[in-house]
This record gives sequence, C-alpha cells and structure tokens, in this order.
Amino acid sequence: MKMGVGSAAGTSSSAAPWEKLRGVLGSGAVLRLGRAFLVSFGVMLVSFLLLRLAPGDPAAILLGDQATPENLAQLREALGLNGTFPEQLARYLGNVIRGDLGISLASHQPVIALIGRALPVTLWLVFLTAAMALLAAVPLGLVAALHHRTWFGHTFRVAASLLLAMPVFFSGLLLILFFAMRLRMAPVAGYVAGFPVALRYLWLPALTLCTVLVPLLARVLQSSIIDTTEQEFVETAVVRGLPRRVMMWRYLIRPSIAPTISLLAYIIGQLVGSAIVVEAIFGLPGMGTLLIEAVQIRDYPVIQGGVAVLGLFVVVVGYVSDMSSAWLDPRTKAK
Amino acid sequence: MLVALRRLNRTGHVGLAILLAMVLMGLVIPMISPYSAISSAGEQFEPPGPRHLFGTDSLGRDVFVRTFAAAQLDLALALAGVTIPLLIGTIIGAMLGSTKAPLVSLLWQVVIDAINAFPFIVLLIGVLGIVGTGLQGLLIALLLTGWARYARVARTRALTLRDVEFVQATEVLGYSRARVLLGHFLPNIYSETLAYGLSDFVLVIITVAGLSYLGLGVRPPTPEWGAMMADGRLFLQRAWWITVFPGLALSVTAIGVALVAESVTSRAKGEE
Repeated sequence: MKMGVGSAAGTSSSAAPWEKLRGVLGSGAVLRLGRAFLVSFGVMLVSFLLLRLAPGDPAAILLGDQATPENLAQLREALGLNGTFPEQLARYLGNVIRGDLGISLASHQPVIALIGRALPVTLWLVFLTAAMALLAAVPLGLVAALHHRTWFGHTFRVAASLLLAMPVFFSGLLLILFFAMRLRMAPVAGYVAGFPVALRYLWLPALTLCTVLVPLLARVLQSSIIDTTEQEFVETAVVRGLPRRVMMWRYLIRPSIAPTISLLAYIIGQLVGSAIVVEAIFGLPGMGTLLIEAVQIRDYPVIQGGVAVLGLFVVVVGYVSDMSSAWLDPRTKAK
Repeated sequence: MLVALRRLNRTGHVGLAILLAMVLMGLVIPMISPYSAISSAGEQFEPPGPRHLFGTDSLGRDVFVRTFAAAQLDLALALAGVTIPLLIGTIIGAMLGSTKAPLVSLLWQVVIDAINAFPFIVLLIGVLGIVGTGLQGLLIALLLTGWARYARVARTRALTLRDVEFVQATEVLGYSRARVLLGHFLPNIYSETLAYGLSDFVLVIITVAGLSYLGLGVRPPTPEWGAMMADGRLFLQRAWWITVFPGLALSVTAIGVALVAESVTSRAKGEE
C-alpha cells in the first residue's frame, strides 16, 4: 500500500531489527505489542536521562550556596539520585510503572496528582479538536481527491501547506483578536471545569488547533483516496453501477481511512505539541501550562513526570491506532 | 543540493524569492533605518504610519526595525538547529544501517524511536527545563533532540543500500569500515536527509519562535519574533501591530521554506 503524503515524517520505521524479531515472535499482533513495550521503555529511559543533563549536581543547583549537607542529601533522595546509576534507573522505572512520579519541589504535592488535574484539560482540548477537525477534513479531503486535477485540488494543496506553515501561536492570537476581542464570542482566556461550561472556554483553542489539524488530515486523506481510486476494486464497483453513496463510503472512504489512522501517532504527537502552546496562549490549566510553569521555577520532578506522561500517551495512542488500522483494513494484517 | 535548487518548479522559485527577500531585508533594514532595534524610537503604542511603518511597542521601540532585525537571529537559529543535528543524525543513522551487530542496532533503535515518539516541543521543553532556558539552552536542546529524526531517515536508507551490489563489492575488496561508510554509504544517504532537513526547517523555525513566545528561548530585549509576539500579547486589543507584524514575518518566512521544501520533494517523487 502506498503511503502518499506523510512518508517524510511518517511513523513507518518498522525496518530491520523489528523484522528479524517477527520471525521469532510469529504473529504481527505480538510484534506490535513488543515494539510498543520497547518504545515505552525507551520513553521512560529518555525521561530518566533528562535529569542527568543538568550541569553538575541537580540538588546543588536547586539549593544554591546556602545548602547544608542534610538538605542536599534530602533533596538528592527526593530526586532519586542516590545509589549507583543502574540502581537509580531500576528504581525510577519501578516507580513510574507504579505511578509514582515523585513529589513537586514547589507545591510538595505528588506529581501524579498535579498531572491528574492537568491532563484531562489537555485531553478534552485534543478530543474536541479531533472531532471538529474530522467533520471538516473528511469532506474536504474527499472533494479535493475527486477533483485533484482541477483548480480546486491545486488551491487546496497550496492552501493546506500555507496553513501548515503558519505557527499556532500566531493563528491563535489572530483568532483571539477577532472572535474574543472584536465579536466577544468567547472569553479571552481562562477555564472552568465541567461539561457544558468548559466548552465555552475550549471552542476557540480547539478552532486554533484545527488550523493545523484540518490541513494535515485532509491532505493525508486526499492522497490516500487518490491512491484508492486507482485500485481495481473501485473500477469494479463503478462497472457494477453501485449507488453513489455505497460507492463513496464502502469503496473510497473506508479503505482510505486506514493509512490516516496509521499516521495517527504522528498526528497526535503534532496535536499534543501544538496543544501545549495553545494552552499557554489561552491560559488553560493543562499539561502545557503545568510544564512551562515547572520549567520557570525548575521543578525537576514535575518536568520529568510531565514529559514522561506525554511521551507514553503518544506511544499508547500509536499502538492503539496501529491495532485498529489492522482491524479497519485487513490488507495491512496480511502483509 | 545546488543542482536540486536550480531545478525547482514555479512554487519553489516563489518560496526561494520570499526567503531571499527576508534575508536581504533582515540585513539591510537594521543598517539603513534611523531607529535602533533595542532602544526607544518615539512615543509608546504609536499606530502604524509614515514615521513608524509597523508602529511602536510598549517601550516606544520601532516595530519595523525590530521585526527585520529579528530575521537574522531566527533564521540563524533555525539553520543551526537543522544543520548540526542533520550532520550528526546522518552519520549515526548511516553507521547503524551499515553495522552488523544486531544488539547494538536494536538498542540504538529503541533510543531513536523513543526520542521521536515524544512530541518535538515537549522534549525540547523538558531539556530546556533541566539545562536552563535561554539561547544556549535552546541550542543544546535542539541538538539533543533533533538528530534522532535524521538518524531514522538515514538508517532506513542505509539498510536498503546494504544489499546493493556496489556495497557488497566493497566487502569482497576488503575495504575498511570507515572507507565504506564515508565513500559509499554517506554519499548515497545525505541527499535524502538533506531533503528531509529542508521540510524540517519549517518545524524548527516555528518551534524556536514558539519556545521564545513561551518565555523559554531567546529573552527580551533581543529582537526575536516569538519573544516580540509575547511582548505584544498583553496589549493585543490596544496595539495589535506589536504582535501581528512579527507573526506575519514568521509566517511568511515559514511559508517560503515550506514552498521550497514542497517543490524539492514533489520533484524527487516525480523522478522516482
């Protein structure tokens, strides 16, 4: 199956080492799971190594010149810097797996509790954006694919790459200027939790994220629908004279969705990254705001924990999307 | 690469023209302007007009000069943030793709996949949080996180090369590993990572400005697009020009790069 667009950025790195393992492990499902576990381990390893990037002793940096030996020892223990390197790593991995990400140096609350409050805000934003973007991107991608040799197709491609090159924090500020300040249709910033109320605060940030997600999705969808139209079964369907609606859904959109879903990990990664920035613009108390505040006050455990959780989130979504694309499109399973 | 630039299509030429104009104006305007980029040039919050084409900011500085003075820094940062990781990543990827030690390869692959699994900006924020924010931290962070993307591209390409006849011939001829790597693998890999680097340039330039917007990158009063936009955010309603002009400059630059990158990749695809 051709991958069309995302090939440059794509997630398909399933080359040699994994391929060799395939023979040993047998089925693709086991291989996928094993790969997800290995990458999760890698994500935790990277976030463990993060703290070791500090120039010198992290505890000494945080405490400054007035540090007493007792304070230093206490902080070193809190940061998990006691013992040999392998011991530290083993303890860190064990803690993360148990859900213990340490204690915030600033608020003295468990990091997992802080993330438990911030992550839902980010997730709501991401889900709302995904729903809005799908509504716009599927018809847009379909029309752009069916007319890809006309002026519409060309305009679509150029417009999509223009929008993709526009930074979210610029489009976000423009949308605030127009919708929040001029039309007063949304609050300029802030957040109130709760189901219907939160939407009032989330729709404009979600719209901002759509300026990235809609062109991204629509472009991937467009190129995979173009690939699908060249398949023989589409021709057969045309020859059989199937109704247009059946034809569209069963023979064009459904087989074209799998490549989009398999790029979902990459797309979600992009989306979460942009969401971090958008949260800061709109003052939403999500993961982005948590991380940025932690960086400003050097709250090492929160930085480490936040990075690890966001990385693991993307890996899990990637794994689930990998599995569901096999389910949606049996051809990928057979390969 | 230069050959590739000469054969750009119309989109590519437009992109290249935009980029050259931005570089040129970034060099010339701060030199010929009567105003300084870092000190006050008039009243605060003066709207765009004949005296100050883009208006003035909250400290009375000329936004026009600052916007173009920032072009140098932003472009230079993005250039460094792409080329250094590109070099390192290409070499690491080529070595991994040509090695015959499966365990070493697997271990590196886990690290590369893990770094690439993070949303780019999240890992950058993480590194900045530990090594310290500011210009130096930004460069370190770009270096530590960027190489893995190129290593993946280079490794995939190197793996396909391993079975090609001229590479297998080097084995028969008994060439040293270094010679095979430098003389036979790298020349066939770098064009691919270079093309990837071009499209990566868009991501890097936006991310660098984004981190500065968040207050983690270049610090005021240094003129930088993201930092200027953050500066104007507080006065968005009162003085939109402080935010909008640097934002436009950043978007136009990013679009210029994107057009060149798209032209190069569509060209490459057409030739396959």
